[in-house]
Amino acid sequence: MTIDMSVEIGGLKLRGPVLAASGTFGYGTEVPLLERRALGAMVSKGIFLRPRAGTPPPRIVETPSGMLNAIGLQGPGVEGLIRDYAPQWAQWDFPVLVNINGETAAEYGELAARLDGVAGVAGFEINISCPNVEQGGLYFGNDPRAAAAVTDAVRKRTDLPVWVKLTPMVTDVGVIARACEAAGADALSAINTFVGMSIDLTTRQPRLSFRTGGLSGPAIRPLAVHLAHQAARAVSIPVIGIGGIMRADDALEFLVAGCAAVQVGTATFVSPNAIAQVHDGIAAYLASHGFESLSDLPRYLPRD
Amino acid sequence: MFLVEAPLVARREVARGMFVLSLDAPQIAQSVRAGQFVNLGWSPGPLLRRPFSVYRTEGDRIEVILKAVGGGTEQLLAMTARDTISCLGPLGHGFELSPGPRSVALVSGGLGVAPMPLAAREARAAGMGVTWVHGARSVDELCSEADGDQQIWATDDGSRGFAGTAVAAVPDADLVLACGPNRMLAAVAMRWPDAQVAVETYMGCGTGVCLGCAVPLARGGYDRACKEGPVYRAADVEWSMLPVHLPYAISS
Ligand SMILES: Cc1cc2nc3c(=O)[nH]c(=O)nc-3n(C[C@H](O)[C@H](O)[C@H](O)COP(=O)(O)OP(=O)(O)OC[C@H]3O[C@@H](n4cnc5c(N)ncnc54)[C@H](O)[C@@H]3O)c2cc1C
Ligand SMILES: Cc1cc2nc3c(=O)[nH]c(=O)nc-3n(C[C@H](O)[C@H](O)[C@H](O)COP(=O)(O)O)c2cc1C
Ligand code: FES
Repeated sequence: MTIDMSVEIGGLKLRGPVLAASGTFGYGTEVPLLERRALGAMVSKGIFLRPRAGTPPPRIVETPSGMLNAIGLQGPGVEGLIRDYAPQWAQWDFPVLVNINGETAAEYGELAARLDGVAGVAGFEINISCPNVEQGGLYFGNDPRAAAAVTDAVRKRTDLPVWVKLTPMVTDVGVIARACEAAGADALSAINTFVGMSIDLTTRQPRLSFRTGGLSGPAIRPLAVHLAHQAARAVSIPVIGIGGIMRADDALEFLVAGCAAVQVGTATFVSPNAIAQVHDGIAAYLASHGFESLSDLPRYLPRD
Repeated sequence: MFLVEAPLVARREVARGMFVLSLDAPQIAQSVRAGQFVNLGWSPGPLLRRPFSVYRTEGDRIEVILKAVGGGTEQLLAMTARDTISCLGPLGHGFELSPGPRSVALVSGGLGVAPMPLAAREARAAGMGVTWVHGARSVDELCSEADGDQQIWATDDGSRGFAGTAVAAVPDADLVLACGPNRMLAAVAMRWPDAQVAVETYMGCGTGVCLGCAVPLARGGYDRACKEGPVYRAADVEWSMLPVHLPYAISS
């Protein structure tokens, strides 16, 4: 029996529920070992309007069951992306969403406007884990008004699907989720990395040159499942679960907790074919439990 | 690039605490070039893979050389025959050794010896005379295996060969290849801007997708040690921005 694994998320029909997470898959032109048939969609490395050099090394450090990264959103800027990558994406049989970043709400809007209509760009994932220079560096994602303002700025400039990627560094993720939904988001990605720090006792300095970094990997999974679940309960648009997914059972936890799809990040570093293994494992679970399609999987979403 | 579940087939000690592991990884053994590396994973083990230069190949086997510097390398050295290690590789861009130069000096400090046996093989195939220059703090930390038409040893304490650094012991050659502590490679860059050097960085993926392995460039910006590197023209790297405290780097 073949299982129907397709899902529809915020205006995009995907052949499967397992997506490549931003920043862990480059622009999709590497990772030759991945069986791409299993890839529902790809979210590109985060991009700004202008090129960015990124942070000095060390940018990565391993921590218990996880890793911290401070890449500093190194990237070619929007024109480089349009020239070098979008033409390739246009040939692929899965959609590519661009993870967009900015220092002001207007910058996010401009970025979306520039990319709207470019062949190969199927939609946007707004990274709101960026400091807002107009608000003293407060993260957009920490303030429901700023998060809504960014969503609105992008929504006004494009008809393509707009997903908003939530930050876990908030007191109530439901409040931010609802603000983004009200501002016109088609879906939410939950969640981005947790801010963390690790100290080298030889140098008595932070291990990362940037001092802090984003924690990803299995260490964050239970936190991420809970946040994705809270977000899913707060809104009626689809939520895409992200955080520490290494195998199919991990992805199924997010799906049962109310997510429509998942993204796999750090696991791709460990095993270049992780996305296909997660995809196939979900299908095998559904088959062995008598479900004919992913949409038949019961979701645990009490509305109390 | 291949992903191979490779049985560990042999292990030998080549200096105090320094071991060579042989792994059965046919596709990698047959395609690897000097200066390329493999990213090793095992379970139970650390979350991320660990990068190692390919030291030698023999038939279907690849060899890696290492010392225990942390949890991962300790676990690798505690493995026994027929334990399997997942090998991803060959990765990165290695040394450029096409015919032309008549002589090459292979300069290594400590574990920087790792890419040199394959470099010696390719240099000879390209018609070069090979001078092997290997240094360490003292005689018991020198890798006992050497190659080349001429061999030069250097120790900081003078317990074998030249008393001083490997870099100071290098004779004239048309081409210089070097690997070792970042401090040593910075010295190589001052003396031979065109030398080819193999650098090390922390790595997230080894396959070019995470941008974790940034190498600062003299012309500004960064590129990826795992993709454009790990071998660079010495003068192209901005040495002052590379961390000098990595342990592979201090063992010379
Ligand atoms: C391209 C490349 C080729 C390499 N080739 C060899 C080789 O042939 N032989 C060899 O012994 N080592 C080599 N290294 C270094 C080796 O990868 C690290 O020593 C190893 O990953 C440490 O793992 P660990 O779990 O033992 O250390 P951890 O417990 O993770 O850390 C212990 C110490 O090692 C340092 N460390 C961790 N990862 C790295 C890394 N990627 N590079 C340098 N230092 C690190 C940490 O700062 C810490 O001080 C290479 C590195 C690169 C990037
Ligand atoms: C090296 C690295 C780079 C990342 N870059 C981005 C980025 O550019 N934009 C973004 O929204 N998230 C970025 N992320 C976060 C991931 O997309 C994902 O939300 C997070 O890693 C948690 O998932 P995981 O545990 O499966 O990795 C990055 C993560 C890592 C590890
Ligand atoms: S280690 Fe990930 S890009 Fe080089």
